[in-house]
Order: sequence, then C-alpha cells, then structure tokens
Amino acid sequence: MSAASLTVGRRRVRSVIWHVGALAVLAVILYPVVWVIGGSFKPGDQIVGSLQLLPTDPITDNYRRLSDGIADVPISTFFTNSLLLAVGSVVGVLFSCSLAAYAFARIRFAGRNALFTLMISTLLLPFQVLIIPQYILFQKLHLINTYVPLLLGKYLAADAFFVFLMVQFMRGLPRELDEAARLDGCGHLRIYWNIVLPLCRPALITSAIFTFIWSWNDFIGPLLYLNEPDKYTVSLGLKLFIDQDSVADYGGMVAMSLVALLPVLLFFLAFQRYLVEGAATSGLKG
Amino acid sequence: MGAGRWTARARGVRAAAAAVAALGLLATGCGGGSGSGDGKVTIRYSWWGAKDRAELIQKTVKLFEKEHPNIKVKTDFSEYTDFWSKFNTQAAGGNAPDVFQNSYAFLRKYGDKNLLLDLNGQADAGNLSLKGFRDGLEKAGDIDGKLLGVPVGANTFAFFYNPDSYRKAGVTVKDGWTWDDFFAAAKKVRKSDGTRYGASDNANVMYLYDLYLRQNGKAFFTKDDKLGFTKDDLAEWWGRWQQHAKADELVPGKKSEQAKPKASISADLSASEFTWDNFLVRFAAETKTTLDLGPIPTTDGKRTGQYLSSLMLSGSARTQHPKEVAQFIDFMTHDPEVGKIMGYNRGIPATTAQYDAYQPQGVDAKIAAYEKSVSAKLEPITPHPAGADVAEAAFLRIYAQVALGQTSMGKAVDQFFNEAESALGS
Amino acid sequence: MTPTTTRAADGVRPPGGTTPGKATPGTRPAPAAGRRQGRRETLAGYLFLTPWCVGILLLTLGPMLVSLYLAFTDYNLFDSPKWIGFKNFQDLFADDRWWTSVQVTLKYVLIGTPLKLAVALAVALLLVKPRKGQGFYRSAFYAPSLIGASVSIGVVWRAIFNDDAVVDKSMSLFGWDVGGWIGDPDWALPTLITLTVWQFGAPMVIFLAGLKQVPGELYEAAEMDGAGRWRRFRSITLPMISPVLFFNLLLELIHSFQVFTSAVVIAGSGTNTGGPGDSLLVYGWYLYEQGFRNLRMGYAAAMAWMLMLGIGLVTAVLFKTQRGWVHYEEDAR
Repeated sequence: MSAASLTVGRRRVRSVIWHVGALAVLAVILYPVVWVIGGSFKPGDQIVGSLQLLPTDPITDNYRRLSDGIADVPISTFFTNSLLLAVGSVVGVLFSCSLAAYAFARIRFAGRNALFTLMISTLLLPFQVLIIPQYILFQKLHLINTYVPLLLGKYLAADAFFVFLMVQFMRGLPRELDEAARLDGCGHLRIYWNIVLPLCRPALITSAIFTFIWSWNDFIGPLLYLNEPDKYTVSLGLKLFIDQDSVADYGGMVAMSLVALLPVLLFFLAFQRYLVEGAATSGLKG
Repeated sequence: MGAGRWTARARGVRAAAAAVAALGLLATGCGGGSGSGDGKVTIRYSWWGAKDRAELIQKTVKLFEKEHPNIKVKTDFSEYTDFWSKFNTQAAGGNAPDVFQNSYAFLRKYGDKNLLLDLNGQADAGNLSLKGFRDGLEKAGDIDGKLLGVPVGANTFAFFYNPDSYRKAGVTVKDGWTWDDFFAAAKKVRKSDGTRYGASDNANVMYLYDLYLRQNGKAFFTKDDKLGFTKDDLAEWWGRWQQHAKADELVPGKKSEQAKPKASISADLSASEFTWDNFLVRFAAETKTTLDLGPIPTTDGKRTGQYLSSLMLSGSARTQHPKEVAQFIDFMTHDPEVGKIMGYNRGIPATTAQYDAYQPQGVDAKIAAYEKSVSAKLEPITPHPAGADVAEAAFLRIYAQVALGQTSMGKAVDQFFNEAESALGS
Repeated sequence: MTPTTTRAADGVRPPGGTTPGKATPGTRPAPAAGRRQGRRETLAGYLFLTPWCVGILLLTLGPMLVSLYLAFTDYNLFDSPKWIGFKNFQDLFADDRWWTSVQVTLKYVLIGTPLKLAVALAVALLLVKPRKGQGFYRSAFYAPSLIGASVSIGVVWRAIFNDDAVVDKSMSLFGWDVGGWIGDPDWALPTLITLTVWQFGAPMVIFLAGLKQVPGELYEAAEMDGAGRWRRFRSITLPMISPVLFFNLLLELIHSFQVFTSAVVIAGSGTNTGGPGDSLLVYGWYLYEQGFRNLRMGYAAAMAWMLMLGIGLVTAVLFKTQRGWVHYEEDAR
C-alpha cells in the first residue's frame, strides 16, 4: 500500500463526510418545501395546522381542480401572461441597462459622476414613495390594465441594481479592446454591440435570471395595474384562492404555488451555473 | 403559445414606445370612453372574494349578458384587503370600476367623497326596481336621502356553538339568555370539555359590542358620527371579558392569533364564538366539528339588538353608463336564476324573488332557519360614519394587546378613543 | 450582483480593487483631441443614456417630487391635497404606532441581516470547493429564495411554527416551550426573521463568487506556516472577501428596511393588525396601512421620506466606516 492510495482513501472518507453533512443541512432547509409538496396532496381541511409532513392518504384533487381554472380563466393563461411579462422584462432590462451601463463605464461625458451618483441613490428609494404618483401617471396615459406600467420601467433602465451590476462588469473589461477598435474607426455603437456586449455575457445572464425571478414573483405591480383576470399573472392568480370572507381553498393554493414555481425553477436550473460565474467575473476581478 | 408570446411582447414594446412618446401629452388627460363602435356598452364590475365566488358570479354575468346583448361586463376580483387598496388607488386615479361590491360600512366613507352613484335617479327612471326586498332592505343603502348601494345579500350576527360540548356541560342555549348565562356557560364548558375553551375572546369584535350597547339603549356610533359610548362603558365591557379570560375560560390571545387564518372555533380551540351567521359556510369547510347557531345573549332577557347588515352593489359616480349600471344591479338583485346560482354565498338573498328561488341545503338551511328565527327581533342598523372601518381595526387591535398582556386596560381604552376619534373626525 | 461599489464616479475606492497600472476608466487623461472630442463623447454618452434619463425623470424623479410635496399635505386620495406644512412630521413623532414600527423594523434589520449573511457565508464556504453534484447543491440551497414571499409560504410558516408543530416540538426537546410562535408577541418577529434568513440564496451566490476569487496560494502559504482553519478564515478569507461582505451588507440592509410582503404574509391574510400586538408591524406595512387603508396619503408620504432619510443615513455611515474594515486587494497583498 503506497502513501498515495492512503491519501486517496482518506480523501474519499472526507468526501463522504462532507456529503452527509451537506445533505443534513439541506434536509433542515428544505423541510418547508417538502411540507408544501406533502400538503399539496392533502385535503384542504388538513393542511393548515397539520403536523404531518406527508399525507396519510394522498389525493390528487388539488391538482385536478387546477385544470378547471379560476373564474373561467384557464391556469395556462396566467402562466402565459407571467411568462410574457418575465421574458419581456428580461429583454427590456438587458437592452436598457446595458446601454446605460456602457455610457457610465466606457464614455467620458460631462455630468457623468453626478448622474452616476443619482443612479446609485435611486437604489435607496422605497417603492412606497412612488406607487401613487406612478399610478396617476399611467392612468393619465390610459395605460391601466395593460402591461405597459409593468414593463416600461424595465425598458427605461429604472432598475439601478442591474445598471450598477453591468457598470462594474464593463469596467473590468480590458480597455485595450476598444482602443484597438477605435483605431479601426469603430464608433461607440459598434464597440458596444460587437465588443462589450458579447464579453458581458455572464453579467447579462445574471441580470436575466434575477429579472426573471423577480418579475415572476411580483405581486403589488400586477395587483394595482391589471383589472381583467384574463391578464392576471400567476402570483395574482395564487392570491385568488384566498379570502377571509368565504371558504379559502388551501389545497388548490398550495398545489398552485408548487406549479407556479416550476417555470422559475426550470429557468434557474438552466442558468444557475452562469449565476456564480457572472457574479464572479463581474466586480471581483483584480 | 410561442408565437403569440412574441407578437404580444412586440405589442408591449410598441406600446412602451408609444407611452414614451405620449410623455409630452401628459397634461391633456381626457376621460376614456368605454363604448365601442358597435353600440355595445362595456361596464366594469369588481368584487372581493375567492375562486368559489368567482365561479358563481361568472355564471350570473353570462346570464345578464344574454339578457342584455348590448352590455358587456368585464369582471375582476381580489381578496378583501387587496380589493380595497386597489379600489382606493383606482378611485384616486379617477378609474373606479363602474359597479362594485360594497358593504354598509363603506357607504359613508366613499359617499362623503362623492365616489358613489346616487341610484335614486335610476330607480325613478325605471332602470332599477326597489320593490320586493325583504325586511325593508331597500332602505339599507339610503344615506341622507341618497341611495348609494343596493343589497344583494343580508346577514346578521349570531352565536356559534359546538352542541356536543354544550350538551356535555349540561348547558342549553335558549332564547332570552343573558350575558351572565353566557359567561357561566363558557365556564362550565371549559371545565367539562378537555380540549376546548368555553368561548373565543370576542371582546374586540365591534359588531358584538354594538349589539351589547344597543341592548342598553346606546350604539357603537351615533347619528352625528361620534362614538356612542364612554370610556367607562368600554372599560367595563373589555374588563368583563378579561376577567373570564384570566380565569382561563376563554381562548387566550396567543392561541387565537396563532390559529389564524382560521377562527378559534373552526380551529377547534373554542366551543363558542360570535360572528356573522353566513360564516357557518366557511367554518363547515374548515372543521369537521358540527356547529350550531344560537341566539345572541341579552341584557334584559328580551332584546338582542340584532339587525340585518348587507353586502351591496354600488355604482361609481364617475361611470359613463349609469343606466347600464342600474340595469345590472337590478338584474343581480331580482333575477331568480341569479338567486339560484349564488345561493347564500353573499349572505341570504335580499329580495324575496331570489330568496324563494333558492332551496337551501345543509349548512345553508341552518342559516336560513336561524335568520327566520330572529327576523321578528330585527331593528334598524347602526349608522357607520366615514372612518368606521379604521375604528373597527383599532378596536380589534387594541383589545388584542390587552389580551396579550401588553398594555393596561386604562391605556388601551385611552388609545382606542384617541385613534377612533381622530379617524371619525377626519 | 457585483461586490464593487463605485469607482472614480463617486469618489469611493473600489472594493474589488484595481491592479495598479491597469487603465481605469474615469481616471484616464482626456484625449488630446480636446474639447471637440469631449463634446462628441458627451453627446454619445447622453445618447446611450436616453432610456435611462427618460426613465429617471418619468418614473423616479417626477413621482419623488410629487410624493415630497404630498408629505407636506393632508391628502386622502380623493380631495385635492391641502398644504399643512410640517404637521405630518410632527404627528409622526407623536404617533406611538409609528415608533413601534420603527422599533420592529430596526430589530428586524439589526438581527436579520447579520444572521442572513452569516448563514449565506457559511453555506458558501461549504460549497466553495468543487465537488461532485455541485450544481445540485447550489440549486437546492438556492431553492427557498425562489419561492419569495408568497401567500403559500405564509401558510407554511404558520404551520411549522404552530403550537406542537415541528419547531415547537423540537425546541421542547431542549426544554424550551414557546407554544405557537406566530401567536406570541415575543416570538412572532423571530419567526419572520427566520423566513428572511431562510431565503439566503442571493447573498450566498455573491459570497461564492467572492470566495472563488481568493487566490489558492494564500491558503497554501498559510498552511505551511501552520495556521489552523479558524486562523486561515480570519486572516485570509475574511479580509479577502470583505468587499463582497460590504456589498452584501449594503444591499441586504437597504432591502430589509423596506420589508413588507413577508410580514403581511406571516401575520396571515385578512389581518388588519400588525401581527400579535403589533409585533410584526414593520415600517413598510404601517406606511401601507396609513396610505391605502386609512387614506392618509400625505402622512404615508411623510413616512416614506423618513424611511428614505433613515436608509440614507445608515448607508452613509456604512460608507464612512468601510475604510476601517473593508480590505482592498492592494492592502491584502
């Protein structure tokens, strides 16, 4: 037996210990998730206040009821709407925030520092400050009950967080690249589109993931701006299962919330490996 | 889905661009007409409720559209608290729904702000019939001579109890029993029932205290928008419940808070509770325990102080189609088919036509029997001034703090009077 | 997502650090072509910034000015606003419930943020070494954060913190019997904090990214010197990731000051009080209640501006102190 194989053996033992430990932590953390999954197979009156993790007598009623839709609106409509909004938001954020970020990161223009500070300070703004004036604005523009109020901000780079993220990333890109391009006679637009954007992929993907998830989970926005159930999003649809005045359908709600999570989960799983890379390569480079 | 999503998104982008272009035109907001070219009128109808109610209402709306081919009804709904915050935002933006579910407690609040359509004119014009309402309910939405809402369903306060627990304790609930009887019963039940408390601590339910005050010739609110009781009155009422709560006869504050969103009685924590009679439907879905409805305890052995409250339909004062709104309300309150579909979902139907059309089954039958048994005792409703909802919330919250031992009785009473008076004053 | 704050733009040093000698935008000398070139750059800059400029004017600054105005008025949403000067602010300071909401929020922020960051960092440390199933673990630990603060998570939380439910039972094993957590004014807030801490995914990802950037040689050298795990963590890991820590701290603080939905969701649907005995009355909730329920929009606007001042103050303090504890790459090397 060589010393090498001994270390291999020890490494394997360590690895097993690590996995057991990680799984144990995971079990605690995922307990509520398992509870939800179990709950979705329980009858409605056994969900709230129930001790049991898993149903004694699993039923699929809760899921079957989902196929009936809510108030004549099929569940698939909510999903289509949410998807449309989420994808629309992603496109908007990628487009407008990268433009703004390029300006802050790569162009020297008068007033840049002041505007940059302004941009950062909007991060501090509580959303409650803006709700009413914004609503009145969209009402005056006859845009209530459309997706415009929910999307416009995304196309106008209102989310400082993402601008900031991309600025940091772009600043990390080697300057020599655009210097060379400039010598070749490229303008800013060409540099932005042909050089900077492709290199920014990790940051763009990170922004896309967060935008997708946040848009998918947004509740207040759709609640205020959408009036017709045909236009409702999944998160709004979820709330329709509950009311204090009448019978609340907890079974349907729990089942729906699981189904509602699926698209985000899939989206996240598809892109999760870029998430860390995106964050890693953006601000932290030396 | 794929292609539609992309075109729809493109539409979204175009609309966004249009919005940006419209920036400069901001100031020139003109009222948006909802009529379309083919002579069809569209009205928007909002209500609060959940999925079950939505399914029923959708059916009734279809029925209405069939009967009125020139009117299209767009519906939307949300959960109760969301409904009101959304309503407030919309109304502030001049965009309230044409017709919406309302309740007595909000008539003055929004009536004072000139948001509600006076339906008297429409009734005079023959678009809305005020005939055939039960127990004088056609007057329920009458505020200072303006008709601000028409009831679709009515309910009244009731005493809910678990008949098994009461039987085991040897207590019978009978007409004309007093508050002393009630508290004594709760004590007995607590002793004999191993798991349940005798009663839920309902000292903070405004509507119950209102009944108690009415039994004593007062009321929660006066006609001139003030509180109809003194600090001593309140301290006495709250103190009485506290005394029994401290004796461990009533559900402790912590437990009832924890049981939410279930009520203490449907969480099987208590053997009796006071609330609106139509809650029986909800409780029946939440617990397997059978519950019965009994009479409200009295002060003098006779008077319960009960009245009918109601869920209403109101129109927006800014609607462009008051006539169609009135026709809609008329249909929803009188049409027997609608009565059959809705059942007791929004309380017992307000008109006899709808009341007779629906044959109550199961828990609905229990509610119907209860309402019949109290109908002879009903009195006129206590007026609800603007700010009544804020006062109610404060009443709930502040006593809960007493029950949780966070504040003293004297402080709590002062705090309630402060908050309520400022809410009513504004 | 990035742990760097700002570079020359606002005069704060970049936590991410810049290798000396590398060109940093914003510090380069102006190109020789001079003013004409400068004007062209300015034009290009504003062209690129057009969407953002429209956005900030239309959706942020405009509404902000409106709400600033409203903060000095009595406005019930329906009648036109009445100017009342500083009365709203005076009323705020005399309002017991406002003080309650300030207290609740401060407790939430001061306890919740460090806890969340600690958990996020611990899990990130657990996951930093490449292992089999790395993607699975990363996703699984992120899963709670995907759920967000939905109604159903409220139901779940109430259920698992119920009297005799799993949390209560396991705590009782240690002789610690709380009963129902959410019904208890002393324990409702910790329950809310648990929910926040549970959703530690975002800071975890940022920590992971930061940890991956720590050069392995540093650890090797330290190990040679005989430094133990804790020593290595304290003298290498912590300083090296302090920029990330700073960034996470900043974001989480700003975020948690504005907490709203999760408190409402935990208190249960349909409740119009701030949880048992107002113990969950976070600032955002009270603001919402005053504005949208009680129709005191002017008061709510004043509250919003106080919140902004508060957040601004905390942020400023954070930036001021960062030099003391945030180590930049140059310093560490």
